[in-house]
Amino acid sequence: MRVEVDLEKCVGAGQCVLAADDVFDQREEDGLVDLLDASPPEARSADVRHAAAVCPAAAILVRD
Amino acid sequence: MSTATERLQLPLPRPNVLELAPLYEVLRREAPITPVTTPAGDPAWLVTRHEEVRLLLGDKRFGRSHPEPERASRITTAAVQDGPTGEYETEEADHARMRRLLTPAFSAKRMRMLADHMDGLVQGYLDRLVAEHDASPDGVVDLHSGLAYPLPVAMICLLLGVPESDHELFGRLSERMANTTIGEEAHQAREEFFRYMIGLVETKRPQLGEDVISDLIRAQSEDASYDYAEMVRLCVGLLFAGHETTVNRIGLGLLFLLTERSRWEALVADPDGRVDAVVEEIMRLGAPGDLGLLRYAREDVSIAGVDIRRGDALVLSINAANRDAEVYSDPEAFNPDRPERTHLGFGHGAHFCIGASLARTELRVVFAALAHRLPGLRLAKDLDQLRVRTTLTGGVAELPVTWRSR
Repeated sequence: MRVEVDLEKCVGAGQCVLAADDVFDQREEDGLVDLLDASPPEARSADVRHAAAVCPAAAILVRD
Repeated sequence: MSTATERLQLPLPRPNVLELAPLYEVLRREAPITPVTTPAGDPAWLVTRHEEVRLLLGDKRFGRSHPEPERASRITTAAVQDGPTGEYETEEADHARMRRLLTPAFSAKRMRMLADHMDGLVQGYLDRLVAEHDASPDGVVDLHSGLAYPLPVAMICLLLGVPESDHELFGRLSERMANTTIGEEAHQAREEFFRYMIGLVETKRPQLGEDVISDLIRAQSEDASYDYAEMVRLCVGLLFAGHETTVNRIGLGLLFLLTERSRWEALVADPDGRVDAVVEEIMRLGAPGDLGLLRYAREDVSIAGVDIRRGDALVLSINAANRDAEVYSDPEAFNPDRPERTHLGFGHGAHFCIGASLARTELRVVFAALAHRLPGLRLAKDLDQLRVRTTLTGGVAELPVTWRSR
């Protein structure tokens, strides 16, 4: 599983951090998304997909 | 344009604070974008289906400003979400600057770090309520004034750098500003709130601290394009939204849990394991206020077979969208275990609630602590007898509860 984030779209809502804080964080300086793990293990799939689904800016892309 | 006689009049009357007008179900199916007359008497579009509400919230062709503000439809006589705000020409850039300034202070990580502090506050409020309960002849205490109100107030004061001792003043001003039944007085309250905030800003200016209002004062003084009045409006908005919304959400959440015993018992059986899902279901179903989020079309747009003109007002019904049967199975049921895990309770798109992580953390701490400490909690009045607030943000004015001492 590959994860991509779009900083142009990100609004810093922090929804992804709540969904999967081992994969996403927010940068201290502007609160925008900080991708910690671009290829998380398959076991994290459900939470990572949930993070993409709840992102209010559709800034997270998940590829198999 | 259809004639005034064909338009629905908002608000649609609801049976009680937990249920919505049954007409929403018909509208979602048959007229998901329908012409209405606002409580202020002006024309607008009411959007009720999840798909369109979500789409419009994420579409930059709809904003909070208006090309000709003086001609814009007004929504209510309250002084919050009543009409257009901001400059039409610079709205997107102004909004981006605001988000950039505020987002770090309200990040998920920082809010989580505050959870222990919140829990300490909540335990203190509960200690006081328990003592009051034990000393009271009928054993009834008010969770609204004793818990639902003080926690969000204390937290937003801490984050913004507002003296908590001012809470009676700004609490009263917030209440009047959002009141939909007092006409012009709501706008007077808004002006008083602005004067209070200007006083606070100028008191803080010589000794800026580590808080959000200090950050905004710094940013405004360093940026010639950042208007002073705009900054004050943002500070007022943060202080207002930072407590009004969560106070009401705690109240409605508790009513959902206590009006059907099995819901409360499920949480009590496993507070730490269940609280997150319970909070999300409270965010989905809780419907404070009868209207929705306000937008104005920035250009002509055709959507779902409806032609919306530049400058038209739209009321996006979050309440209706969150109960859409096309998205949620058995949508009216309070079911924290439902498979659908998303909702529009914090909005969507560029204006997504900046305080979402703060509110979630507060709600989780409150409901986990209540379930741990007061498992026998029950309402001391029927739902229909509770005093309801006549404000745009809705909710109840009291939460009389009791429990059997162990």
